[in-house]
Amino acid sequence: MVLLRGKEIIKQINFIGNGSLFIIVFCVCFSALVTILESSFHMKMVIQNDSMVPGFATMLILRELGAVVTALLLTSRVGAGIAAEVGTMQITEQNDALKMLGINPVEFLLIPRLIASILATVALTVIANIVCIYCSMLVSEIYLGFTPSMFLTAMSRFVSFKDLIFSMIKGACFGAIIPLVSCFFGFRCRAGAEGVGMATTNSVVVSSVLIIVSDFLLSYVFSHLY
Amino acid sequence: MNSPPSIFTVAENIVKEIGGTILFFVQIIKTFVKTPCKREEVFEQVWKVTIQSMPTTAMSGFFVGAIMTVQFTMQMKEFGALGYLGGLATSGTIREVGPLLIAFMLSGKVGAFTSAELGTMKVTEQIDAIRCLGADPIKDIILPRFLGIIISSFFLLTAGLLMSILGGMLMGQVIAGVNAEEYIRHIPTIVSLPSIGSGIIKCFSFAMVLAMVCTYKGYATTGGAKGVGLSVVKTAVSTMICIVIIDWLTSFLGEIALHIVIS
Repeated sequence: MVLLRGKEIIKQINFIGNGSLFIIVFCVCFSALVTILESSFHMKMVIQNDSMVPGFATMLILRELGAVVTALLLTSRVGAGIAAEVGTMQITEQNDALKMLGINPVEFLLIPRLIASILATVALTVIANIVCIYCSMLVSEIYLGFTPSMFLTAMSRFVSFKDLIFSMIKGACFGAIIPLVSCFFGFRCRAGAEGVGMATTNSVVVSSVLIIVSDFLLSYVFSHLY
Repeated sequence: MNSPPSIFTVAENIVKEIGGTILFFVQIIKTFVKTPCKREEVFEQVWKVTIQSMPTTAMSGFFVGAIMTVQFTMQMKEFGALGYLGGLATSGTIREVGPLLIAFMLSGKVGAFTSAELGTMKVTEQIDAIRCLGADPIKDIILPRFLGIIISSFFLLTAGLLMSILGGMLMGQVIAGVNAEEYIRHIPTIVSLPSIGSGIIKCFSFAMVLAMVCTYKGYATTGGAKGVGLSVVKTAVSTMICIVIIDWLTSFLGEIALHIVIS
């Protein structure tokens, strides 16, 4: 019987979601700028005009960039934090103390973080997608002269609501990967300060690789469903 | 629960961090010009960093290429222009998505490792010990690592981009039915020399920023084992922010350069 602790989950959602909101919004704004610049470059090269830029750029944002950039940023901030916290608890024998009290440390530490991370990552992915599209609308008005209504009309021809749903599914998967990997490395942490450092670095690297690999698998599956 | 810091404190801290990083960079450059370190030490660092991160980088590069091909296939199919798949997917990966995602991976791997190492040296007073022996810690410890990270990140990013072409080629064969020969034949028609140049300039600037931030954060660590953990997380976050900004800056400057060349 897993006991759900609402307060702990809300605290973790605050740490993961609210704490990372600023840097995710900031980074996503800049990647929107770059996406618009680069896709206008490619469009001009292949079909000699940039009337399709909004469609292609928003498609790229919704299907890939929004979810992946959010997840990679969360990995370095949240994943490293969780691994360091759990690792420190492991080497200071707090996890053994929990066991003595009859509490399963995996249940106590992992479950709230897992639920919080899934919820927060889905929410952050949606926010990142919206901010990114809004920002690219702004940029394409400045650089390419699309008015917002032109942008939205051109966008809706390429993008559907399904894309946002798939992006949210991706976000949920990435959100599950981060605490699972970090807690795994945290619980296996060796003694000493060096062990915590190793656990942190390993969990960041392994979860980033897993995020990219699972992104590829999910993209491959979703490409049959559009 | 402590109250959130005011916006002025946050802004002041950001400006302080940026200023500190730039001053540190100037100090490194001064040391490099006046008293360059031994060449063997730089080679040792290059070897260490490259060996450590090569599998991760190659793997992520491979999958980034594969993802881009999957995405472009869907868009190209609507126009019946699958012949352009190789060119467009490669161009998109090399110019933009490849360097960005691979640099994110490297900042997690190389950046975190270096700042943890330097931070541990700082809090266990090894750096002070070197200064006591009359040696310059910037010359003996920081400079070889700085140059090593720049050189090897540049190599790693380029290797990741090559792997991304391979991944794209494989996926083109598997899902789009574009065979390898046709995939490669259309790469030179779309990917021009300026595109490759832009990708390489991006790789170089990302490597530069990564080296600057992680050596500075490691060197400025204070406060025991907890401080080391804090500076590792700070390094990862600030390198990612810097990489995204530099990414935009290089694209923007490239666009301006293109306009000047055309007109």
